[in-house]
Amino acid sequence: MLMTEPAIDLKEHPILVTLQDSISGNGFLARITMSGRTLMREEDGKWWMYGVRPAGIAASGANIEEAFLRFRNSYKEILFDIAQESATFEDFATEVKRFFNEGDADNEDEQSWENALTVVRSGACNPPTAFANLPRRSPNTTPSFIKIERVDAEAKDLRLMPSDNVSDMYAYSAPKAA
Amino acid sequence: MLEKCAPGHTIRRTTHGRVVSFGDRVYRDLPKFDEIELGHIRKMSRHLGIYECAKKFGII
Repeated sequence: MLMTEPAIDLKEHPILVTLQDSISGNGFLARITMSGRTLMREEDGKWWMYGVRPAGIAASGANIEEAFLRFRNSYKEILFDIAQESATFEDFATEVKRFFNEGDADNEDEQSWENALTVVRSGACNPPTAFANLPRRSPNTTPSFIKIERVDAEAKDLRLMPSDNVSDMYAYSAPKAA
Repeated sequence: MLEKCAPGHTIRRTTHGRVVSFGDRVYRDLPKFDEIELGHIRKMSRHLGIYECAKKFGII
């Protein structure tokens, strides 16, 4: 059987991101676990990571690793700022959920993410070398979510276990739905 | 650009950056200091729904 080379040079890349943070607020400690979506592309001579969910965040770097680290730092600082502004844990949780769920007004990056995923799933392209070492994950098995838990002494029904720990991760969307 | 494309917007400083509010939308990731990279302007414009207006200024 004749094997053909992938035909499409993908310019935008569908990335899955998982992050976990402990955030101190006014009289509370919160743990935020986020599984999100970002779009990466090369622009202006740099790699950019644009938020899709959460949408309102962007970061650049000389390479994809640096872009991810800056994105990760920006995300954490947004959580810090929200904690600074929140009088209670409930206020904090409400605003973090709003931040996570508020899409871009024009949904352009979300559409680009979906289009890129479709191309990746079709097998019509290979991720460029820059992404060669990233793990592959399927969006089907890595759904988008945000979980905000109170983990201080005031928390009700709190059970803490080592299995709750989540490593930072960013992955290239897998070629086929799992 | 924001004066023309997002009339009535507000900007406030936080410990780590600047928050731009326009209508019912909030963009929390505007860098603290000026000399902002174009990617941030692009993202903010898309998030706030002012991308087409912002393009007319020739900065994105």
